[in-house]
Amino acid sequence: MQFFFEVLIGGLLSGVMYALVALGFVLIYKASGVFNFAQGAMVFFAALTFVGVMELGAPFGLALVITFAAMVLLGVATEKVVLRPLVNQPQITLFMATIGLTFFIEGLAQGMWGASVRGLEIPGIQDEPIEWAMDNWGIGISKFDLFAAGVSAVLVSVLAVFFNKTRVGRALRAVADDHQGALAIGIPLQNIWRIVWAVAGFVALVAGLMWGARNGVQFALTFVALKALPVLIIGGFESVAGAIVGGLIIGAAEKLGEVYIGPMVGGGIEGWFPYVMALLFLLVRPEGLFGERHIDRV
Amino acid sequence: MFEERIIFHDAIETMEVDFCGTTFAVNADVDAFYDVVDKRLADSGRSWYFLVVYTDCVIAPEAWERFAERGKIANVKHGLGTVRVGASSQTREEIRQRAEQEAFRSNIFNTRDQAMLALGEMRKRRRDSRAAAEGTFLRVENVSLRFGGVKAITGVSFEIKRGEISSIIGPNGAGKSSMLNVINGVYHPQEGTVTYLGNARHQMRTHEAATQGIARTFQNIALFKGMSVLDNLMTGRNLKMKSNFLLQALYWGPAQREELAHRKKVEEIIDFLEIEHIRKTPVGRLPYGLQKRVELGRALAAEPTLLLLDEPMAGMNVEEKQDMCRFILDVNDQFGTTILLIEHDMGVVMDISNFVVVLDHGMKIAEGTPDEVRSDPTVIRAYLGTAH
Amino acid sequence: MLYREAGQFKATYQEDQQIFPIRQDRIAIASILVFFYLVVPAAANQYWLQAILIPVLIFSLAAIGLNILTGYAGQLSLGSAAFMAVGAFAAYNFMLRVPGMPILAAFVLGGLCAAAVGIAFGLPSLRIKGFYLAVATLAAQFFIVWALTKFPWFSNYSSSGVITAQQVEILGYAFISPESKYVLTLAVVTVLALAAKNMVRSSIGRSWMAIRDMDVAAEVIGFRPMHTKLSAFAISSFYCGVAGALYAYTYLGTVEPEGFNLDMSFKILFMVIIGGVGSIMGSFLGAAFIVLLPIFLNISMHVLGDWVPHGLASNLELIVFGGLIIFFLIVEPHGLARLWQIGKEKLRLWPFPH
Repeated sequence: MQFFFEVLIGGLLSGVMYALVALGFVLIYKASGVFNFAQGAMVFFAALTFVGVMELGAPFGLALVITFAAMVLLGVATEKVVLRPLVNQPQITLFMATIGLTFFIEGLAQGMWGASVRGLEIPGIQDEPIEWAMDNWGIGISKFDLFAAGVSAVLVSVLAVFFNKTRVGRALRAVADDHQGALAIGIPLQNIWRIVWAVAGFVALVAGLMWGARNGVQFALTFVALKALPVLIIGGFESVAGAIVGGLIIGAAEKLGEVYIGPMVGGGIEGWFPYVMALLFLLVRPEGLFGERHIDRV
Repeated sequence: MFEERIIFHDAIETMEVDFCGTTFAVNADVDAFYDVVDKRLADSGRSWYFLVVYTDCVIAPEAWERFAERGKIANVKHGLGTVRVGASSQTREEIRQRAEQEAFRSNIFNTRDQAMLALGEMRKRRRDSRAAAEGTFLRVENVSLRFGGVKAITGVSFEIKRGEISSIIGPNGAGKSSMLNVINGVYHPQEGTVTYLGNARHQMRTHEAATQGIARTFQNIALFKGMSVLDNLMTGRNLKMKSNFLLQALYWGPAQREELAHRKKVEEIIDFLEIEHIRKTPVGRLPYGLQKRVELGRALAAEPTLLLLDEPMAGMNVEEKQDMCRFILDVNDQFGTTILLIEHDMGVVMDISNFVVVLDHGMKIAEGTPDEVRSDPTVIRAYLGTAH
Repeated sequence: MLYREAGQFKATYQEDQQIFPIRQDRIAIASILVFFYLVVPAAANQYWLQAILIPVLIFSLAAIGLNILTGYAGQLSLGSAAFMAVGAFAAYNFMLRVPGMPILAAFVLGGLCAAAVGIAFGLPSLRIKGFYLAVATLAAQFFIVWALTKFPWFSNYSSSGVITAQQVEILGYAFISPESKYVLTLAVVTVLALAAKNMVRSSIGRSWMAIRDMDVAAEVIGFRPMHTKLSAFAISSFYCGVAGALYAYTYLGTVEPEGFNLDMSFKILFMVIIGGVGSIMGSFLGAAFIVLLPIFLNISMHVLGDWVPHGLASNLELIVFGGLIIFFLIVEPHGLARLWQIGKEKLRLWPFPH
């Protein structure tokens, strides 16, 4: 039983990390209806830029600021070069455009900073079990995972406040509901989109730091985005809460599946198990846990 | 030898029996012939009209009783009606007497053509009476439709007659489009039934409507934008196309012949709607009025029995409206298609409809001929509004 | 001046329904076929045949497959490479386990296996659309590659799932030289491309396009969505499967499941986007473009010499690919095929501007 809980908690905590990436998808989808496949590439770009700036000798804080600036720049440029010309195109076209964007950003990041694997350390936080939990419950919980969970919680709260309490947040929700309606009442659409892409860039930065610190900064980071997709299907593309819950479900299911089902079929099922789960889920509830059901009008 | 004297004409549901030159001298002759006839009838397992040719047939008085008896049995078991050709004056007299005794129509004709004409009349009468017996063409009974908590239609009933042009009118949001969607199976009402050609249904899958001969156009044009006018019209004929994809991949033999045959049919519709000049143009590039016309063409390509038109004239100028009116009336006239349409232009509705249903807030507030509806106080109130 | 259709009248619908209704087009396509069937095998060197022409042909076939699904039926798929893998491994197993199996039959059976798997993974398309479906097809991509690696039976218990294709032999003739492999590939691709063209101009093709353009209206007209979508998945996967079998048998000779990865799926998608969504001709153009681009980039890097930092070429490839995709989606969503068409229109009028 202890082992079960250890696996479950490990899964839930890594699920938080997935949620962190999924959050970036949700933000952009909510505000512009774009399914941004490039979110994973943005995470990679952020982590690589951060490490690269650190290597040039910048202290942690400065590197953070510079990277953030780079992410904002990237977001704004994307809005201007990719999204604006494609406005009013079918969603699927925008989706394919973001696949192109993924390749572009990956190439750009590696072209700028090289392709070698690098370590990333967040001062004071090591990936080691918490002694207290080990002593009292006999369960190994990584300090780092717990820290990451804390960061995610803070980020989600901040975003929730931002969305629900601020003027910009209200404008964002208006835009998400109806582009033309929002335009008609004088919300500057392009500003809003720029802000959203910048915020998504910030979320990517946080996710990049966390994932980079955990697995090292390397090209494989882009695959984290692929992990986030089943999360979105389960949680629904439009819901911040869905991203979190979906992340937790996928994280837990993936780890439990690997430990309990994996040995039966030869292991290594982490790659596809979340997808198959998401697929089964889709058949039951195509709009996701927190998504909105749409009625087709003819 | 009797075998080849019995011919089945499947298309006109008729069995032709040829007695030409036969002599029935004794009862055994009659039985020999009728045993074959009865067996063929039993094998076919269905009913037929009989076309009996008596030219130069001789029936001896001894055999006559048996002949009439066996004929009667065949008629009762499998007959829908009988016409007779070329009976000799003796036979003719016998039949006439028997007809008077047993009260059936003697139906004796001098030529085969006259007999066939009479047969056609008989088939038509029977078809009409069957349609009448099966009830109405389209009946909507007590239909209610809700989306979540929103009531789109509440307890609406009406009937539409075959061959007429009927209209549904009502203010915006009255549930008109929803009603059409219920009729062709896009929406499934929570309550009520739709009876179409004698079949009542509560739910059906959308694509089944087309197989039953219901075609429709949409309020916001729903053409296939990436395809040419010709291809759009060809999609209307898909239900009639039978060749499988392997033959289509080869584009060979039956597949090619089928494609060309349907192309010919579609070209007739293109002619009818006067859109020859744009047949190869992608529909996305056409002006609005022409798109509407193409959409009508796509629906017509299916050769529907019931045609649903959702605001066929919305957003058109006067000339375009006149054209469209002409097409609708022609379709009704030339193809005998029953039409149910939604339209906001009252002038048009009152001009071309035989029957009008008025909806308001999802409920039926009036129905009748255009004149009745025009003078109905509830309708006037719904349109002009009163202080509530 | 030469490219005029004046004086060519269509007297029957049959003439009007030809694939190439214009006489000059028919002459051009005939010369192109003669060129590729007769001149190229005689003139091209081994590098051109093995490293460029064969892969271009094979990827054209895969791109036609994806184009049927995405371009014609409007169902986005990110798992094309996995269906190629199914075709390759199925053909390999039929050859291995069925004595005296003719190679062409193995290709067809490989395609049919891919079609069956395609139908299974196409089932979600009945309930979900757009990028939801795209994400669902990723499940196929990951699951199939995993299964082929994990169950050693598929690769006849070789290490890490690597298979080596058996020798290709038809009626006693062994296809060993690059020329012969090229001609075999070309023949298979020509036949299947023609079949695809015929399908998309027949009722099955119209049913796909109808579902793509307006699914509710298509249903109202009487297309059964399940039948239509699954037929697109099946036929598309069949094409990818045959392409996969060719990939193993006439191109590489030795393949492993990991070779059919997500990157390859993306490449096939790019071929479709750049070549032209909803165009058989575009599939060829797109495949040629995507196969040739890295080679071109590499050569230009070499020309620039040491001046270019190491590893830039592969990153530049990513950047150029990504940039081109965005460029084409914005500027010419119908891809190279559309540009080709515009060129033809211009040629019809030349030397007059209008």
